[in-house]
Formats: sequence, C-alpha cells, structure tokens
Amino acid sequence: MPKRFDQARPFLTLGFVVAAWLVVPTVFKTFTRASFFELTAPVGVAASYARDLQEYWTLRLHSNSELIEAGRDLARLNASYDLAVQQNIEMQGEIARLEGILRLPSYTGYRSEHARVVRRDFSGWWQRLTIRKGKNYNLTVGAPVVFSGGVVGRVSEVFAYTATVDLISSQTVRLAAVVEGDTRPISYQGGLNPTFGSAGGVIEFVPLDIFASANATKRLVTSGLGGVFPPGLTIGSVIKVEPSTDGLFKSGEVKLDDRLAALTEVTVLLPLDTP
Amino acid sequence: MAADENNLADRSGRLFESQKGYDPRVVLFYLIIAALLIVLISGLAYQQLFNAELHAERESSQNQRRILIPGPRGNIYDRNGQLLVGNRPRFAVILYLDELRAKFRAEFIRIRKNYRAADDKDIPTADQLWTLARVSVVQSYLEQINAIIGRDLKVDSVRLNTHFSRELLLPYPLVEDLAPAEYARLLEHLPVVSPLQLYTTNTREYPFGSAASQTLGYVGINEDVEAENFPGEKLRTFKQRGSIGRDGLESKFDSLLQGEAGGAIFRVDPLGYRLRDAKPIESRLPTQGQNLVTSLDIDLQLAAEAAIGDQTGAAVAIDIKTGEILALASKPDYDLRKFAPRLGHADAADITAREAWTNLAIGGAFPPGSTFKILTSIAGLRRGVLDPTQAIADCQGVIRIGNRDFVCDNRRGHHGEVLLPEAIAHSCDIYFFGAGRLITPDVLAEEGRRFHLHERTGIELPHETGRMVIPDPAYKEKVIGEKWFPGDTANMSIGQGYVLVTPLEMACFAASVARNEVFTQPTLLHNPDAPVQHTESIGLTASQRAALVEGMVGTTTYGTANTLNLDLFKIPGVRIAGKTGTAQKKVTKEGKTGNINYAWFICFAPADNPEIAMAVMIEGETLGENFGGGRYAAPVAGSVLKKYFEKKNRPADQKLAPFKIE
Repeated sequence: MPKRFDQARPFLTLGFVVAAWLVVPTVFKTFTRASFFELTAPVGVAASYARDLQEYWTLRLHSNSELIEAGRDLARLNASYDLAVQQNIEMQGEIARLEGILRLPSYTGYRSEHARVVRRDFSGWWQRLTIRKGKNYNLTVGAPVVFSGGVVGRVSEVFAYTATVDLISSQTVRLAAVVEGDTRPISYQGGLNPTFGSAGGVIEFVPLDIFASANATKRLVTSGLGGVFPPGLTIGSVIKVEPSTDGLFKSGEVKLDDRLAALTEVTVLLPLDTP
Repeated sequence: MAADENNLADRSGRLFESQKGYDPRVVLFYLIIAALLIVLISGLAYQQLFNAELHAERESSQNQRRILIPGPRGNIYDRNGQLLVGNRPRFAVILYLDELRAKFRAEFIRIRKNYRAADDKDIPTADQLWTLARVSVVQSYLEQINAIIGRDLKVDSVRLNTHFSRELLLPYPLVEDLAPAEYARLLEHLPVVSPLQLYTTNTREYPFGSAASQTLGYVGINEDVEAENFPGEKLRTFKQRGSIGRDGLESKFDSLLQGEAGGAIFRVDPLGYRLRDAKPIESRLPTQGQNLVTSLDIDLQLAAEAAIGDQTGAAVAIDIKTGEILALASKPDYDLRKFAPRLGHADAADITAREAWTNLAIGGAFPPGSTFKILTSIAGLRRGVLDPTQAIADCQGVIRIGNRDFVCDNRRGHHGEVLLPEAIAHSCDIYFFGAGRLITPDVLAEEGRRFHLHERTGIELPHETGRMVIPDPAYKEKVIGEKWFPGDTANMSIGQGYVLVTPLEMACFAASVARNEVFTQPTLLHNPDAPVQHTESIGLTASQRAALVEGMVGTTTYGTANTLNLDLFKIPGVRIAGKTGTAQKKVTKEGKTGNINYAWFICFAPADNPEIAMAVMIEGETLGENFGGGRYAAPVAGSVLKKYFEKKNRPADQKLAPFKIE
C-alpha cells in the first residue's frame, strides 16, 4: 500500500497543484504570468545578444578580400539607396503639393523604432515574434510592425524590455487592405496556418470586379484608411478569389512573404502623437 | 444469547412480527403496487414508444432556435449586359446581445447596488433595472464605436428592448450604412473576437437612378422570409427582414429574383440565450436569386427619357422582329435610389403629388388621334373601299356630317382632292371622315380588334390597364346607353371619340404594320436566339402596302412630322415611316373645363426593311393649347431612332464586348 502510494505521489502532487491553480485568485495568476514573462525575457534577450556576437565573429573570420568585396557592394547599395532616398524626397514633395491642391488630410506621421527579433513562435495556435524592445522604448500595444518586404504584424503585448508581435499570418490580426490600383477597402485576416507550412491569410468583402489567380496574382497592400498602418505597405499576393454564395462579394486567399518566418530585424511604427 | 432474546421479547411484548403464509391484506397491497407499477410502466412505454416524436419536438422547440437570413436578390440587366438593378452592400456594426448575458447581470447588480447605496426610495422595478442594465452595457459598446469613427451615437432603448425581447438571437445593429473609411477603421480597431462584429447586409442599387423606374419597379420590406428545405419549421424562428418586389419587373419576377434564404439552428438555454461557444446544429448560407436579362437597351431608354424631359408622356421602342421592348419610358418618374434602403414619407408624398407612380406606357389609355388613321387606311384598303389612286373627298377645311360641322384640323387650310399617301402624310381629316363613312364603324372596330387593340398586350408587367376601347355601335349602346351617330364614325376614323389605347399597344401596332402582320407580342425578356414573330398577314396587296408606306414616309419628309427631316434628327440612309396624331380630351383642370391635347407619333424604320418601331405620346399641360404630334412627339422618336442607328452603325472596334452572365 505505501509503495503504491509512493508511485502515485507525483500524480497526486500534480493534481493538487492544478487544483490549487484553479482556485487561486485571478490577480495572483495574472501577476505570476506577467512575472514569468518579465523574468524569462532577459534569457531570450541574452540569447539574442549571444547570437549577434556569434554572427559578428563569423563575419570577422572572412578574409580581407571578401570584406573589401562586401564593402564595395555595400557602397554601391548605399549609393543606390541614396538615389532612392532623393527620389522619395522629391516624390513626397510632389505628393504634399498634390494633397495641398486637393486639400486632402495628411496621413499620420510615424516614428520608426527598429528592433531585433528575439524569438519566433510558429504553431497552429499562434504566429508571433518577440522583439528586443518594450516599454523602455515606449512601444505601445497595437502599434504596426513592418519590414523591408511590407507588413509584419501588430504589437500585441509590451513588457519592460521586450514586446510580442502578432504576425499577419495570425488569425488575431485583421487589416483594412486594398488590391493595388483599387481604392475600395477589403478585409484581410490571418489564416489557419500549419506549423511548418507557408503562411497565408484570407480576404473578404472583395468587390466582384476584382480577379486574381495563382498565375495572375494581385498585390495586396494596406489601405491607410484603418488608421493603424500607413497606406501602400505590401501584405502579400492575392492568389485566389471566388464569389461568395450571396453574390455580393468575393473572398480569397493571400500568400504572405516567406521571409516572415526568418525575420531578424523589424521596425515598429509609432504614431508621432504617441508619447 | 437466546435467553437474552427471550427476555427482550418478553420486555417489549412483540419486537418482531413474523409473517407466515399470505395475509390477504398484504396480497392486496402487492396487487395495488403491481397495478400502479404496470400503469407507470405502461405510461412510460406509451410516452417513449408512441409519443417519442412529440417529446423530441417539444424538447427541440424549448432548447433550439432557428435564424433565417434572406438571400440577396438577383440582378437585372439590359440586353447588352449593363447592370440596371444590382445589390449594394451596407456595412454595419452589430452586437450579439445573446453573448452578453453575464455583462447584463453584472450591470444589473451594480445599478441595483448603487440605488441601494444611495438609499433611493424610488428604486426602479426589476424590469426597469434590467432595461437600464442592457442600455448601459450596449451604450458602452457603442462608445467604443463612437471613439473609433468619431460619431456621437446613443442607444435607442425602445428599439433595443424590442430587439431583446423578440429577436434575441439576431444581431442587434448598432450602426448601419457605414462609410468605407469608417468600415476600414473598424476593421483595424475592433478586436477579432468580440460580441461586436462588422456585418454586411444589402440593399438594391440603381446605377441609372430614375431610368426605367416604373418598368424596373421597386422592392419593399418582406417580414416573412421563408427558407425552403431548411429544417426546423416548427422551431421558434427569428427572421431577418428581406425584400419583396412591389412593382414593375421586381414584382412580376419576384420568385425568380428572390434569393434563397440561409439560416442556422442553435441550442439555447432556458432564458433563450445561445449556449456559449455553441456551434450551429444546422446552417446554410443564403444564396443570390437568379439574374434577369431584360430586352431594354439602356442607351435608348435614356435617350427616350431625355427627349421627353419634364413633359408628361410615354415612349415605347420595340424590336419589330422579336417584339422585344427596347425602351419603355414614362414621365414623370421617380428616382429609384430613394427606395434604397427604404422610401421616406416625404419622397412618397412627392411621387404621389407628381402622379409619377403610373407607368403611362401601359397604365394609361388615351385617344390615339390621327395615328389611328393607319388602321382606318388598312381597313379601307382591305375592304376595297379605298383606292390609293382615287380621291374620295375634296378637303375644303370643313365637312358637315349629320347636323354637325367637322373641320380638318391639320394644315389649317384646304388639302383639296388628295390621294391616300398625301392624306396620310398631311393627316387630312376630311379624307378619313369620308373613309370612315365608307368603311362603317363595325368594320373599323373589327379591324381594330384584329390588331388586338381592344385588349391587354400581356407584357410581363403588373398594372397594365384594361381600359382600352375599340368602340362600335353595340359598345355605345351597352356602355353609354346611346345610339351610334354618323359623327361617332367620323370621330372614330381619326382616332377620337371613344377610342382609347395605350402607347404600348400603338408601338405593337406600328411593329405589326412594319412586319405586314396583325399582331406583335411585346416582351421585356431578352432572348438572343428569339425567333422572328409571325402572325396573320394584314392582307394588303403590294401596291396597297406601298401606298400606305409611301404616305407614312411622306409624313416624316414633307408631311406633319417633317421636323424629322431636320439635320438634328436626320439619319443618313434611313427613311422613317411614321404617322402623327393630336387627340383632344375634355378635362377639368383647376376648376376650368376644356380640351387637353395628346401629341402622338408612331413610326418604324428603316421604311424599306424595318427593324425598330416606336410610339410616343406626350400630354399637353395647358387647356386649349395646340399640342401637335409632329412638334412634340416626333422629336422624341427622332432622338431614340438616331441613337439606335448610331449604336448600330458604330464601328466594331468601338462596340463593347457582349456581357456574359454565368
């Protein structure tokens, strides 16, 4: 009898803990969960720094000629970026002039906050990133997150030194999008994505005169009408649209950028009126 | 031990009773118990075996609710695939009240506690407290919306209570008809999982506003949406409002256009709230109704309506070969966009005041005036009493028939001895008074009936009038109670007196004459493979027909409709065969009695190989005003014909690709 009791003890202990967890007050649970994230965040951040250091030493091992070659490529890239920046400035001036003529309200201005990716979580339950900036950089819940390929997602939780970003492949993210060249807003929402599959989303309320297929994709961009994301950021490619049974709209599928699964750095856009 | 037991028995007298054998009283007790058990088991068996269905039904009706959502109506297109009536989505924010039970309860407790804490003597009743709680909770959600879209909306407590008590499972619309920008803002700001959701309903969309309004018709609210082959007919059902055709094609083809309703069946708790996270037991998506392709050509329709302008009247254009109606215009009309989502009282009163509800092309019967002379001519030619080469009268401007002088209203002069073609072209009344006398009223009426002018055409529209009249002596005796006089024959021969027809009938008549047949069945449905209509031949000889057509072409070249010879209406290479008419009718307007004129024009073109026929009727506004068909009605037809041939002769590369409806 005692021996059997000893064998069952771990299960009894587990049961006791579970039962205790069920009855403890919600405040305690919330505090514990928040504390857990705050305590484990430095571990993730430290690991991220270690990875950065590792990459640094990897680069140090390159030969001088490789570094010179990379430096030359970088200089060329910088030159092309400089040119693009100049063109952008001119274009912004032209846009401002046209907006002035048409008396259009100006879009919200944003402050960019670049952040390293600490951890990526991709599963059937959630699709999210942890980034290495949090309240210490005034990040706010709901802030849009972008990268060079377009939209990454939205900040869903902010901790002292880290923040969680829900990816646009997550079902909890919904955006007001437009098909490039069109002005009518449609609803984009993250899809039900498998753990190791390519990420995708779904679009709804697509006007009937919009057509797209896997062979003739359409670029889906942010509309700027929703007030969260600036306009024109790439969301993905519309690979399928089909009419709904009610005949009012179409719905479809969107293929997202494969680089979302390998991001190392993202940019959080903070509206300029945010403190 | 045994000794102890004996002692105890002794002390108590009898602690245990031992029963040996069967006491009759116990047997009776057993029997009663057995009988009761049998009754109980039989009852249970009966209920279980024979009433199982009834109990299952009762169980379902207690804990299941059914929701019906109407399907969008089908679209209506013109013959070239132009959308005439479609559906416009209406974005709304809705709140699922049945997910807020816990919040309502918490708010109820909070409010009650506040009243008690304030030691308020006038504490509301429980019902009032529940109402307050519900309004308070819903207003808190509405505040979220207000903050996002910058409005200042308040909850309508009466509407909320009504919805709560009658339509708990249906979403409660918080804000309807969101602008696209508001919808976009809500998309990004509202949580994905929330009792607040974005929702789309639909309403009718009319890209051409008032074009063909009375023909297309409008829809009204349908409170009684039904879903065929969807289970749960006996369950308590919540129905979203649908739409039902109230006039025009929307009404006539309602069953075709009506979408198939979708729905869902949910499990609910005893208070009627949907069980938390419960998936529907049954669900079906609504589907759109079938599309309708009309024979209308929106370009011709717009041309006809623009040409009529602010006048009162109607114009009908018809494809001669198939009988398909190309344009069916009636003015005054109304803007269909005011019906979406629903017509306001002020707009309805305005339509009534302008007398714009009636489709004059089918709903009004008018004297056709001199356009009827074509029928008189045909009757005379067929009976051999008219010879195109012989004059039958000498028009000196007036003729005495019976004891009354009849004047020739046209040209204000003397036509002299004219032949049939000139009589038609100049619309000489004296010639046709003579013709009528020779033909006799019965023969003329018989000819009218042969062309089906005495009955409805049977077009696919509601409210086609049945007041058309092709009179004869018997009719007058029966309806008016008077004898037929020679003057009646004279009037009838020029389309006056008791003759009443609709513009649609006259368009069909023109099409029949063009095809040299006696009847054209009009239709508003487009069939690209429609066969050419064939009915009985009119029965004219080639020379008789040539004389008739010559007279009609003369009308538009040198006769009463020579306005069509102006550059404005001239169509290169196309001769128009037409006939004008100006009919008078005695009316009382603003206390004054006098004659009002109806300007008419019927025609077909090209005269040699007809394709399109038309009838136009414009009603004069002022009593006694000279309102001639050549001046007021013919230009309307001229505009439509010009548009028709312009479209037809447009180079192939400028033509739109034919629209395909899947």
